[in-house]
Amino acid sequence: MTFAERMLKIDRRIIFLVIGLCTLLPLLYPVGLPIKISPEVRGVYDYIESLPEGSVFLLSLDFDPASKPELHPQAISLLRHAFRKNLRVVAMTLWVSGTGMADQVVTQVAREMGKESGKDYVFLGWSPGGTAVIINMGQDLYGAFPADYNGKPTKGMPVLQGIANLRDVNYAISLGAGNPGVEAWYVFGKDKYKFELGGGCTGVMAPGLYPLLRSGQINGLIGGLRGAAEYETLIGQKGKAIAGMDAQSATHLAIIVLVIICNLFYFSMRRQATQQSRSGA
Amino acid sequence: MIFLRRQVPLLITLITGLVFAAQYYVPHPASEQMLTSVTKWLQIIGGFALVLGVSSLFHVHAMKIRRKEAGWGYSFVLYVSMLGTIAIGLWSNGKEAVDGTMTAFGWIYNFMMVPLQGTMFAILALFIASAAYRSFRARSREAAVLLIAAVIVMMGRVPLGEYLIPLSGDLSQWILNVLNASVRRAILIGVSLGTVALSIKIIFGMERSYLGGGKE
Amino acid sequence: MKRETLDVKRQVWMASLFLFVAVLSQPWMPVYAQYDGQTKKTLPPPQDVRAFDTPSDGGGSLTVVWAPAPYDSAATKYQILLSDGATVADPAAMKVVAEFPANQHYVRESKWPWWTRPATGDQHQFTLRNGRGVELKDGIVYSITVAAVLSDDRGIAQPVQATAQPNWMNWNQINNLLLALLFGGIVFYAISTARKREIFLRRIPGLDAVDEAIGRATELGKPILYLTGAHDMSDPSTIAAAVILGRVAKRTAAYETELLVPHRDPITMAVCQEITKQAYLEAGKPDLYKDDSNFFITSDQFSYTAAVDGIMLRKKPAANFFMGAYFAEALLLTETGASTGAIQIAGTDSDHQLPFFVTTCDYTLIGEELYAASAYLSREPVQVGTLRGQDIGKALILGVLGVGTILATLGVLLDAQWPQLFLDVFKDVK
Repeated sequence: MTFAERMLKIDRRIIFLVIGLCTLLPLLYPVGLPIKISPEVRGVYDYIESLPEGSVFLLSLDFDPASKPELHPQAISLLRHAFRKNLRVVAMTLWVSGTGMADQVVTQVAREMGKESGKDYVFLGWSPGGTAVIINMGQDLYGAFPADYNGKPTKGMPVLQGIANLRDVNYAISLGAGNPGVEAWYVFGKDKYKFELGGGCTGVMAPGLYPLLRSGQINGLIGGLRGAAEYETLIGQKGKAIAGMDAQSATHLAIIVLVIICNLFYFSMRRQATQQSRSGA
Repeated sequence: MIFLRRQVPLLITLITGLVFAAQYYVPHPASEQMLTSVTKWLQIIGGFALVLGVSSLFHVHAMKIRRKEAGWGYSFVLYVSMLGTIAIGLWSNGKEAVDGTMTAFGWIYNFMMVPLQGTMFAILALFIASAAYRSFRARSREAAVLLIAAVIVMMGRVPLGEYLIPLSGDLSQWILNVLNASVRRAILIGVSLGTVALSIKIIFGMERSYLGGGKE
Repeated sequence: MKRETLDVKRQVWMASLFLFVAVLSQPWMPVYAQYDGQTKKTLPPPQDVRAFDTPSDGGGSLTVVWAPAPYDSAATKYQILLSDGATVADPAAMKVVAEFPANQHYVRESKWPWWTRPATGDQHQFTLRNGRGVELKDGIVYSITVAAVLSDDRGIAQPVQATAQPNWMNWNQINNLLLALLFGGIVFYAISTARKREIFLRRIPGLDAVDEAIGRATELGKPILYLTGAHDMSDPSTIAAAVILGRVAKRTAAYETELLVPHRDPITMAVCQEITKQAYLEAGKPDLYKDDSNFFITSDQFSYTAAVDGIMLRKKPAANFFMGAYFAEALLLTETGASTGAIQIAGTDSDHQLPFFVTTCDYTLIGEELYAASAYLSREPVQVGTLRGQDIGKALILGVLGVGTILATLGVLLDAQWPQLFLDVFKDVK
């Protein structure tokens, strides 16, 4: 076996080790390169900035612990921004396995920003049905969620004053890791009840949501860890996303170098094979 | 019996399918009220489906343990874990934290479920690298185009890439907003037409595989 | 001569003086405002104000239209005034429910298609909805009017009455309904045609790869692993996966190769069991059929993935088939399969996972190739007819895209409105 062939059949564990080091070292020794803001993330930020104090902001944390590294920083940044603008935050989730995590993040950020449950924000929790929950909320919020996650009745809550259904929501964002997610919120939510909608998603799902963004069905998109890092930059509060960008940069560069090396070996092997066949002929 | 198992479900599907297809075009509050009632039923049935899922798991693994099939030890571990989690969850009233203090259920969630799910997802990063090393070879013109586009987008989506090649950021934005969006839209149109066609077939009883069992 | 010139000059002066007095005495000369209490009335009120129940909605909404005015500009503002009841004692005391610059809110900017537009494009329009500080109940008469405001000037039109009512039909979306009915008709027509005669379907290249993979597994004496995806039987991709399983099962029965089909959904498992049993029967090997070749693992995404990865590493199947809908587990499955050296064929309509399948599998059926493959294999008139109907639908959409692009471009170049007649037909009005 030639050197090129051996390199092309290299043990996967060596590649795993390279990627592991590229992820770990920048987390231990961060560099902190500047992050350029994309128009799609700015779309979400500008819209929240434009909302007057007391506006209703619905945040649906539609992800489970598997997508925590990408969507958790997005949730933290959005909640910080919303609380800073003194918006009335209504949080919820359509994924049962993400309920605990969603409650933790909302409570944590609210405590950090000095906000009170029931007065400044409410976490409604999870209700079965997926898209049926969205339709029910569109008709009657209190019917879909008679009590919040802590069992307190939602009717009469100061934070929900004047809100009867989704039509009274000024801005909704779904942080989605799959289905139900951003698309479900558009089809069963914005299409019927006409509120403004933004989206956040994992990096792998982001390209699939660009048609919705380009047609104006969502007014902004926070895609993956990069999107979360951009949002942290916009609100001026560094978090795990910006910290993770160095690791992501190193990993991307490592993959590109590996791909280039692999192609060099591949072409070298093909040239050798051509030369051999010519000399054989 | 055939009437109850086949004809009645088909009739229900036909009537409800047509009614709720028409409901989309009727803005009257009576129509919206009907939709709300049905979605409430959907939520209730969704709750039952959870129970069904758990009970079918119990049944399948109980059979495996009883017959001592290959890997029945894992089924036993699953049984113990499931029952233990249910018991602890009920004891903690389904709450992960009470007044800031983590419950036992919260402990299981935070120190078992979250790391395990995170681990499975994190493996993807390693697999992407090994898959890319194995497969991203410019074997043909199309493969070369795929390779170049992948490199541009990978560079453009990270700060280091934009720092080294400033143009990569704008290029990757263009690839995502123009090339990617148009192709995704095309796939979306095709798949949506397929979904609409399937829905029409299900409503009118031409497609019955969702009822289970073979053709008639 | 000199005397005549003097006379002419005197006559011209007299005429000029007469003209000057005549001009000054005209009532249309607005030299100073006339006051009515505290409000100046120099600004003419909006003209042709009409109010009516907003059409094609669920009630709780009124629409006002009025004519454009010469003073329409960013400096001037329009106010929408509302009060309960049919009689209004003092229009100036009505509640202001909206205010905006006078060069905004035209009918042409609204989203109404041409067949429901209440007035010509140059008219102003504003829609009041119940909620957010405005109370509009169905069946109650409201008085509504429009005022024009410029600095301290205010001109209020005569109030008009309207009653909000819920409607039974959303005429804005009649085009949507007609297009849906048209597509449904095309599908039914294609299915009925497929029942009467054979419709040509080109051979899907991926099917050759399926046969090759089964042959390889048989040569190596290793099992075949077949996955049907993450969704249930109501998803078209799962139905297609089940049909292709029938073909694979027939081949494995003929070659006496072991078949493993782990499932995420119990109903899909039940359907696939029947399909596999039938396939073995048709291959003439009913005794080789094993009930537990189709088995249920769990519906949880990563638990299922871990279990299937374990099966791949232990049993080392020679061929892996990934048919149906997939999510994040796609790469975990295919990369593990690739590490065992198996030949891998994928078919999915999950476009977000396509890059992973394309890079890790030997062959990938993309999107509708999966549906086409199942139609090609089954030759069922319903499947083939549906495929043809979809193809006709796509051809129509392509045609509309082409014609629409040309017309929209012409509309912009010629500054014309007539292309909108065609474009609105394919617009989705929200």
